[in-house]
Amino acid sequence: MTAPARSPKVVVVPCSGIGKTYGTVSREAAYQIVEDLRPEGTQLVALSMLVLGDESARSALAENPTITIDGCKLACASKMVKESGGRVAQEIAVLDVYRRHRQFKPQGIAELNPGGQQLARVLAEEAAVTVDTLVSKERGGQSG
Amino acid sequence: MSEYLETTVDKFTFKVSTDRLYSKEGVWAKAEGNRVRVGLSDYVQQHNGDVAFAEAKPAGTQVRFQDEIAILETMKVNLSLASPVAGRVLEVNPALAAHPELVNQDPFGAGWLAVVEAGDWESDKGRLLDPQAYFAKMKLEAEQEVKGR
Repeated sequence: MTAPARSPKVVVVPCSGIGKTYGTVSREAAYQIVEDLRPEGTQLVALSMLVLGDESARSALAENPTITIDGCKLACASKMVKESGGRVAQEIAVLDVYRRHRQFKPQGIAELNPGGQQLARVLAEEAAVTVDTLVSKERGGQSG
Repeated sequence: MSEYLETTVDKFTFKVSTDRLYSKEGVWAKAEGNRVRVGLSDYVQQHNGDVAFAEAKPAGTQVRFQDEIAILETMKVNLSLASPVAGRVLEVNPALAAHPELVNQDPFGAGWLAVVEAGDWESDKGRLLDPQAYFAKMKLEAEQEVKGR
């Protein structure tokens, strides 16, 4: 008897960026990807779980491609995923997305202004396209 | 080749290039004949965070000493930068439109902001700080900020 093929998932890891506007954008975008735009094909992993060396978090990284979202150039999410043995399929920097969407200037920390919310949305939509590509590649890999 | 004065405050290391002069706000000016290249100091760029947009006044603009020569939008603030030299803007760094992060990555080199044809450089440079004076001022500011946290 063979085990049923698991549904391909893409792991999303935002930075923690506590107290920083761009960190809030990264987390808000991550929620939108996994809860709203692509709930079936994604899994959220908290950066703190990777820092703690949590086994289930590391295992999720080992089995799935990952999209990281970083609020600043320290790129903690990307670095931590790589250090945890993960495969980063796409590194997204909030600042790069903002440079392409200057009309959405983010402000606020606990609560984002409308510009920040729109920036998080466009970032999430861009990531969702990547999720689709990765899931379809993983499916192709499983069937082949 | 540039040489640097360097200090580490808390976890940050700041450099001051010794081949140019500085305004007290941390805008540098490097004379190249009658042309003066202008940019942002390492301390100011680190203090204000990643640059999202860098826009210098267009070529042909006349600026007086301390007139606004560029605006930077960073992750933290919008900065209006005062010109350390009076004259006519000759060039704006064309790379900054696509790569404003150069201001952070190489503030004394590829991240320069503009080149100004100086009107009276001899007079302007007397109002600027030499590298040692700027280094001392910057170091004090950085240390006071750490103490004040």
